[in-house]
Amino acid sequence: MNNIISLSGNLLLIICLATSMLQSLNLFTANSYTNNNVKLFSTIQFTSIVLAFLILIFLFTQSNFGFELVTFHSHSEKPFLYKISGAWGNHEGSLLLWILILTLFNFLYSLSAERDKLYKNKVIAIQSILIIGFVLFSIALSNPFTLNESPQSEGLGLNPILQDPLLAIHPPILYFGYVGFSLVFSLAVAGLLSSNINNVWAETVKSWTFLAWTFLTAGIALGSYWAYYELGWGGYWFWDPVENASLMPWLAATALIHCVVVLQKKNTMQSWTVLLAIITFSLSLMGTFLVRSGVLNSVHTFASDPGRGLYILSFLFLVLITSFTIYALKSDGIDKENSYSIVSRDAGIMVNNWVLITILFIVFLGTIYPLFTDLVLNTSLTVGPSYYVMTITPVIIILLLFMIISPLVNWTAGKLSNVIVKMRYVLISSLTLVLILSLYFFLFSLTELTIIFLCIILILTSISSGIIYSRKNIIITPSLGRTLSHSGFGLLLLAIVSNAVYSEEKIFDAKVGDTLKLSDNTFRFEKINQFEKQNYNSIQAIFYLMDKNKKVEKFSPEIRFYNDPPTITSETSIVHRLFEDIYIVMNVTQATNSISVRIHVKPFMTFLWIGVILIILGGVLSVFIKNKKINA
Amino acid sequence: MPKRIIYYVPILLIIVLSVFFYFSLSNDTSKISSPIIGKPLPEFSLPSLLTGKSNVRSEDLNEEGTFILNVWASWCVPCRAEHDILMVLNNLHDVKLYGLNYKDKPSEAVNFINKLGNPFKNIGVDQSGRTAIDLGVYGVPETFIIRDGKVIYKHIGPIHMSELDEIIVPILKDSR
Repeated sequence: MNNIISLSGNLLLIICLATSMLQSLNLFTANSYTNNNVKLFSTIQFTSIVLAFLILIFLFTQSNFGFELVTFHSHSEKPFLYKISGAWGNHEGSLLLWILILTLFNFLYSLSAERDKLYKNKVIAIQSILIIGFVLFSIALSNPFTLNESPQSEGLGLNPILQDPLLAIHPPILYFGYVGFSLVFSLAVAGLLSSNINNVWAETVKSWTFLAWTFLTAGIALGSYWAYYELGWGGYWFWDPVENASLMPWLAATALIHCVVVLQKKNTMQSWTVLLAIITFSLSLMGTFLVRSGVLNSVHTFASDPGRGLYILSFLFLVLITSFTIYALKSDGIDKENSYSIVSRDAGIMVNNWVLITILFIVFLGTIYPLFTDLVLNTSLTVGPSYYVMTITPVIIILLLFMIISPLVNWTAGKLSNVIVKMRYVLISSLTLVLILSLYFFLFSLTELTIIFLCIILILTSISSGIIYSRKNIIITPSLGRTLSHSGFGLLLLAIVSNAVYSEEKIFDAKVGDTLKLSDNTFRFEKINQFEKQNYNSIQAIFYLMDKNKKVEKFSPEIRFYNDPPTITSETSIVHRLFEDIYIVMNVTQATNSISVRIHVKPFMTFLWIGVILIILGGVLSVFIKNKKINA
Repeated sequence: MPKRIIYYVPILLIIVLSVFFYFSLSNDTSKISSPIIGKPLPEFSLPSLLTGKSNVRSEDLNEEGTFILNVWASWCVPCRAEHDILMVLNNLHDVKLYGLNYKDKPSEAVNFINKLGNPFKNIGVDQSGRTAIDLGVYGVPETFIIRDGKVIYKHIGPIHMSELDEIIVPILKDSR
């Protein structure tokens, strides 16, 4: 039976491979048999992978330990949800998920109405070439349907840290973002080949770009939130290679969405937009594969399976070198005449493009620095968070400045004096707010105050420009997406900075009945509960946040001792309040008469997540909003 | 012929990066020489990370016998991988292993040790990074072996299991 399942899984992959090869022919022949069957073939590509993926999930839910992948990554006692998510919580399965989303975007695009049929076929051909590369990789080097030589009675994968609902949905969402840019990439390369990069092209590209960007943003945010409550370190961003790998395409993509809008409105910046589209997808590829395969974390994981590493690297190389060659040959001369004054929205967007690329470069350097020292000094070192904070802070100030000014000035040529007039109330109110804040918190650090000041202006100007618009039009206006995203970004940065400045934490050795004090908060250590669950024992401490003698909030941090495999996890207890998060973690200690707890008071965390949600909402709106064209 | 050479820059970048990644795949870590070898540890006295322990002083490590000083930080990912190796080293061999906690938040450093175990006799807190500069530390992690008041070996980067067997343990055995 297992033989048949394994065979049909592989057969489905081969069917997808074969149809993709047929589709890719459209790149070279203008009028072949496949030309008329593009929609049908795209459906076949997609359906075959859906079926293969369903088979894999079925194997995981059945705990079929006849298969290698299930044996290594599942366990019969795993909760049902995590059996399902176990299907993509590993290299082979996540590759299949990656292919699934590739074919999905291909399928969705094949359904879309595109006037230029030849161009559409080219896009699908390029997308199919990508599919070929990954399906081959899956069949030959990362086959999810490999059978065990002898069937096993139990699986090995019951890592409790990975059993988390957020971790189950985080990879698919992140992948939607990464892979979404594959279509943007295909659209760009096909556009170069057909020499039709213009405002009509940008109109198609815009929705897909915003869609992918929104998913990528949401994926990063989910990962960050998971780290915040699960790792128990009180932080939400650690600048580790895996996080950086998702941040880099995001930075490029953020530059890209702005350029696509400019291209659509003004029919300029052709070659730069296309370059960003290619770079964004390249970084997505690098992000998922080089990092997940372990190159950036430890050289040795990768070396343990040199075949995979070499394949991915060669494939990446081929895709990138081909696309950049096409870019070099075709992009010369595609830029339409574009003149604008230094004070104009065009100039502002261009400056911030460079700022984003600078940040991208900083993150890139920080991420590959360990690899570099590994080669040159023969060692792997990590750069600390202070490197990123020190280098990015000054650039962020420029970014904020232009985020504030650009939307207020006109396209092509604007006047700075107009901006100041438009901003006068906002300037005065922000200045007062910052003064009050700095006096209240006794904060006089110029850098932080500047950033906070600029963030408040950004939020206020974004909101006010949104309101003025919505008086003229009804509800959805072209700038509403920007209003949401930009004010969300201001809120996010405001929260990040004030969080960095005002966060407090302390470690206590506590006995039952103790009263603990951290800044203005008083906590009472009420009791300790011990209980047994199906697969773990738990020690739970109960704390209350006290207001005079009233219990205001309850905390129940926990330490869990899992039996199989023997693992200890510490479960944080977080209470979200409007202006601060309170975060209690128990530490594992040998002491018997007292427990060690760490209490964090983290201000503005709620605003941080609200900021992120606003950014995402802005992205969602922008997928659907149609922009007006501006005659330059 | 295209006029502008700038369009070809990305191609060049990709080639350079690919070569770079390719060599990263087949690269191995090993030791490099350092001016500190053969000299005593520079003078320092650092507060201990562990409650109730005295300061970590250079005199303690410059005494007769063999000592190991490991520079680490909780924010350093390779240190995490290396930590297991240090635990093994401490369990299997009778060594005097000291830690130097580099530019770290004490609470996070304590949490790191509480979570992953403590292989160290004592841990000095170098929050400013001054001592690390005196030691000539490139970055974290790094490990020094000191015998009879002289640094005899410096290891840059995390110690891998194979290196523990092939390099570190022979040096330690040699000293007895």
